[in-house]
Amino acid sequence: MKRILFSLVLLGAAFMVKAQTADEVINMHINAIGGADAWRKVSSIKMEGTMQVQGAEVAITQTVLHGKGSKQEISVMGMTGFMIVTPTAGWNFMPFQGQTAPEAMTAEDLAESQDQLDAQGSLIDYAAKGHTVELLGKEDVDGTECYKLKVNKKGGTPETMFIDTKTNYVIRSVTKTKANGQEVETITNFSNYEKLPEGIVMSKSMTLPFGELNVTKLTINGTVDEAIFKN
Amino acid sequence: MRIRLAFLLLFGVSAIASFAQTTINSSTFGMMEARWLGPGTMSGRITAIEGVAQDGRTIYVGTAGGGIWKTTNAGASFKPIFDKYCQSIGAIAIDPKNPKVIFAGTGESNMRNSVSIGDGMYKSTDGGDNWTKIGLEKSEHIAKIVINPNNTNIIYVAVPGPLWSSSKERGLYKSTDAGKTFEKILYHDENTGCADVAIDPMHPDTVYASNWEFRRLPYSFNSGGKGSGMWKSTDGGKTWKELTNGLPAKPFGRIAFAVAPSAPQNLVAIVESNETGLFISADGGENWKKQSATFNVVSRPFYFATIVIDPKDPKRVYRPALSFSYSSDGGYSFADASNEGGWVHSDHHALWINPNNTNQLYLGTDGGVYISLDKGATWSFVQSLPVGQFYHAAVDDKKPYNIYGGLQDNGSWVGPSAAAGGVSNGMWKAINGGDGFWVQPDPSDPNIAYAESQGGNINRINLTATKAVNIKPQQALNEEKLRWNWNTPIVLGVANKKNLYMGSQYLYKSTDQGRNWTRISPDLTTNDKKKQDQENSGGLSADNTSAENHCTIFTIAESPLDEKMIWAGTDDGNLQYTLDGGKTWTNVAGNYAKAGIPAQTWISSIEPSRFDKKVVYATFDNHMYGDHKPYLGKSTDMGKTWTLMNSTEFTGFAHKIKEDPINKDLLFFGTEMGLFATLDGGKNWFRMKNKIPDYVLARDIQIHPRTHDLIVATHGRGILIVDDISPIRSMTKETAEKEVVLFPTAPITLTMGQFGNSGFPSTGGWVAPNPPSIPPIKYYLKDRVSSGDVKVDVYDTAGKLIQSIPGSKRKGVNMVQWNLSMKPPKVASGGTKIDFGAFLAPMVLPGDYIIQLKVGDSTYTSKVKLVHDATDKNFTLEDRKLQHKTAMEVYKMHEQLADVVDTINAKQKLIKDNLSKVKDSTLKRTMVAYNDELEKLRAECLATKQKSIFADEKKLREEITELYSGVSGQEAAPSNMQVQRVPVLQAELKKKEQTNQQILKKYDKQVIDGLKKEGLIPTGEKKGF
Repeated sequence: MKRILFSLVLLGAAFMVKAQTADEVINMHINAIGGADAWRKVSSIKMEGTMQVQGAEVAITQTVLHGKGSKQEISVMGMTGFMIVTPTAGWNFMPFQGQTAPEAMTAEDLAESQDQLDAQGSLIDYAAKGHTVELLGKEDVDGTECYKLKVNKKGGTPETMFIDTKTNYVIRSVTKTKANGQEVETITNFSNYEKLPEGIVMSKSMTLPFGELNVTKLTINGTVDEAIFKN
Repeated sequence: MRIRLAFLLLFGVSAIASFAQTTINSSTFGMMEARWLGPGTMSGRITAIEGVAQDGRTIYVGTAGGGIWKTTNAGASFKPIFDKYCQSIGAIAIDPKNPKVIFAGTGESNMRNSVSIGDGMYKSTDGGDNWTKIGLEKSEHIAKIVINPNNTNIIYVAVPGPLWSSSKERGLYKSTDAGKTFEKILYHDENTGCADVAIDPMHPDTVYASNWEFRRLPYSFNSGGKGSGMWKSTDGGKTWKELTNGLPAKPFGRIAFAVAPSAPQNLVAIVESNETGLFISADGGENWKKQSATFNVVSRPFYFATIVIDPKDPKRVYRPALSFSYSSDGGYSFADASNEGGWVHSDHHALWINPNNTNQLYLGTDGGVYISLDKGATWSFVQSLPVGQFYHAAVDDKKPYNIYGGLQDNGSWVGPSAAAGGVSNGMWKAINGGDGFWVQPDPSDPNIAYAESQGGNINRINLTATKAVNIKPQQALNEEKLRWNWNTPIVLGVANKKNLYMGSQYLYKSTDQGRNWTRISPDLTTNDKKKQDQENSGGLSADNTSAENHCTIFTIAESPLDEKMIWAGTDDGNLQYTLDGGKTWTNVAGNYAKAGIPAQTWISSIEPSRFDKKVVYATFDNHMYGDHKPYLGKSTDMGKTWTLMNSTEFTGFAHKIKEDPINKDLLFFGTEMGLFATLDGGKNWFRMKNKIPDYVLARDIQIHPRTHDLIVATHGRGILIVDDISPIRSMTKETAEKEVVLFPTAPITLTMGQFGNSGFPSTGGWVAPNPPSIPPIKYYLKDRVSSGDVKVDVYDTAGKLIQSIPGSKRKGVNMVQWNLSMKPPKVASGGTKIDFGAFLAPMVLPGDYIIQLKVGDSTYTSKVKLVHDATDKNFTLEDRKLQHKTAMEVYKMHEQLADVVDTINAKQKLIKDNLSKVKDSTLKRTMVAYNDELEKLRAECLATKQKSIFADEKKLREEITELYSGVSGQEAAPSNMQVQRVPVLQAELKKKEQTNQQILKKYDKQVIDGLKKEGLIPTGEKKGF
């Protein structure tokens, strides 16, 4: 009887201790998205996609040259706006409401935006990148059980990632950024994960508060002309 | 013991083994989330306010039943941050050194009859994003938390403890490790708790605390006794001495006190006693002196337990109580706040003063938060906190329907379930004063509703004139004095909607809107005289406001199947029914007791089934005897035998059981700590989440018979609505096991949105979102889709794709809204501004459409019928057809113009890319001329000059859009002039097309040939792009 009890205890305990530390969760996640080695080989990512805004199509392109530059372009009806971030400068240009020339980012915004230069994602070698992580247990995200992982980024913006306990994919990210002195919370849901020829797994659908971005093309390690990061 | 352990483990293992099976729970309902209707116009009781001294604009507001709300902008907007936990908040404290560290004590200590309970202390280390429970789970009520400013690991917590029972879980607690452990450091006995604590900020080992002996029974309460007293310690709580010099003779009741932060030898205290008064001390509490005090300063000590001294000025004393009083001379004299900025709701419980700008005050009342910028002289109301405390809710059948309900200390209101631009505060209408409880709209007279204030003061309200007629039944000759509950039931017939019921100890019925009443029962209560001594209730301060009235009828229900079958439940345990409209009554109290439901509980709700006359459900609330268990009973034999329904999910005492009118196995159960549902008649229950706070105080539940909306009246989060619960009804275990289910869509009336458009955004306050203005397409996903796409394609019957809509991928029920329109046209691109014609599409015509849901590689198909609203005389089917025809003509013009502009853009790009490379100067000149003519044409096709949104520049594209949006953006036939405008613009367009052709003819071949010759474009290419 004692032995049965003991083995039952062990059995129960085995279920209890599954994935208890942040590093274990991060490793499971990284394995699910192709492994750290595959990600470390990523030097640039170009993502092209579309978003439907009230039935009209908006084209979005994001190009990240690891550590050197990031550019997001938004095109609607032949009009294109952009956001550029480099280690030393950044610009915003949103002509849709009549802006006529790009505006330089403030030092504070630039510092917060530095994480965008990471083409590999913040969890690959997070400690070396200067981020810290905390596992905040499990939480239900729209009915899906997730690990709740808080990443305190070197740039100062905390990001909470919700990692599906079944697939180990990040299905939601909540970031807090400062804009004009106010804290702004942005929730992004990720889905449509797909394995690319480079061995990495990426989400091809991102749902933002104003709509869903569907990725139509991903180019990994293509040549990126650094000139595009100049205003 | 061992065997039990093995059993537990076996259960654990089997639970893990059954993981693979899909259990129906809140996640099954996916996007069917609650709308928070609010309103914010009458808010709810505020119990704690604390702000971050370092920034003066991050403020936490604790509420009586709506959790904690946080603002980071000094009150312009708020967000709830405690929705997964107990919703009743007693105290909040912020670590003065690290303002990201917040402590929250649950269970308020404004010990009125309707007070909720807490489940301990919580801590956040990230400004309220995440919380951990840290102890004192059985404290039930927490009055105050203070932190040593020099060593913030030291925390004191004043715990009055359980209100309805004796308990050792009370007293003053101290933690020296930032909340990891707590030690009780001041305790009198199991009937005496700690009501207040303060520390001397300059000598933080000096601690003051007041003990309070108090108790409530269902029919009376007592504040005061030998346990109450004022205490002081100078060694951080190791040793204590009682402070008595100058204080009145004991016994004391509740003592509220404050230490002046800037001169902490000064204290003020309101001491409840046989001579309740205000006392001040100038020597650290060693000696006290009584002050003359106004009625407000000393009123209702058990309920008004707040007194605050300005952080900088020791003479400025604030007494938020029945009204708001302040003193500028240390408490010698008081003045009352002015109502210059609007009436300040009575009954105050919390005050925060910004220590760095002591003009700025935040006040918590029974009706919400107020802000003062002039030290409390005038106040403005914060309209964005939807934390109203409803007791009951009812609905009418208007379109959109209205919700009626009564609130704790906030009267009775009516507001719409939807409105153009959303439901804002101003759309709610107050229809009756006092505390509000039951409100019933008259189903046969849309101008009439019945509402009441405490103690059965019922009025018939003319809703148009907002005038009331008192229709309270009166004591008849030789009758006992009528006993009306605080929350007297007013109920309408279900089988016969003309019947209006209300109950004292007797049940009354009226069939003529309360003009005449008939008593239809004997005394249905136990009529226990020991429970009827309310005139002596209150303890040291008499307090008899009808809140303790007892031996009364508390709930009434007419069977939906038979108007002669009426059930009535009392607050003292009787559950009775009549089968003959009240001639004879049967008491089944003895029967339910056999099922393990305690005697003399409050019968909080009764639900006779609409499917079977013999079936009845009832909820039993025994919390006033210190028992918080949720008692939910079902009888299938008219109350002869009862089964206690139970679930490990249940928390909180029971308020309401509701049977779905269509699916007999779908039941909803509301308690003091959650809303629960079952789909199998009560075998398995789950907690309703989906934007419903996990531990919501769910007091009443309605299901709208037309819209199938679930309406929850909460005691702290206003009205919550889950729109159209039909998918829940069809959700069986078999359905839930399927990977994907595309639900059938009922015919949809063609509309651009059923709630209209108000044109302007809200100017603030609480605005509730509307239900979907067009019925959505619904589908169920067994699991969240992480790989593969989800979309909904709509085709017409000819197989033409009308729209492709991205689909959500959530676990459970998903909803995608098709706007019943086509894709917007391709609009000429470029120019200086975005043309909104590109965002507008004509509505499709009535008929059948095919819905194809694509999940990864699988496709699921269904049909939807779109119908024209034949009742709309202002927009006939002929009108619709003409509108569609005209809109499509203009739509086509947009696409034709886009083709012209596309050609121009391509040619101009070719010229721009090559001009600098061209060597031949003639070719260069030709290209410049070509470009100039193209640009001239382009500038006629669309606005290319004015960039400012304030400078209109109207060219052909903009002209087309004006006509296009006029015709297709409204639900009306086009006007004669709109129709006549079409050929005019068509002629203009034709000209542009011709000009374009002429320019091409003139230059294109020449330029292409020249570029080929110079080797700038491949020779095989004819058009250059």
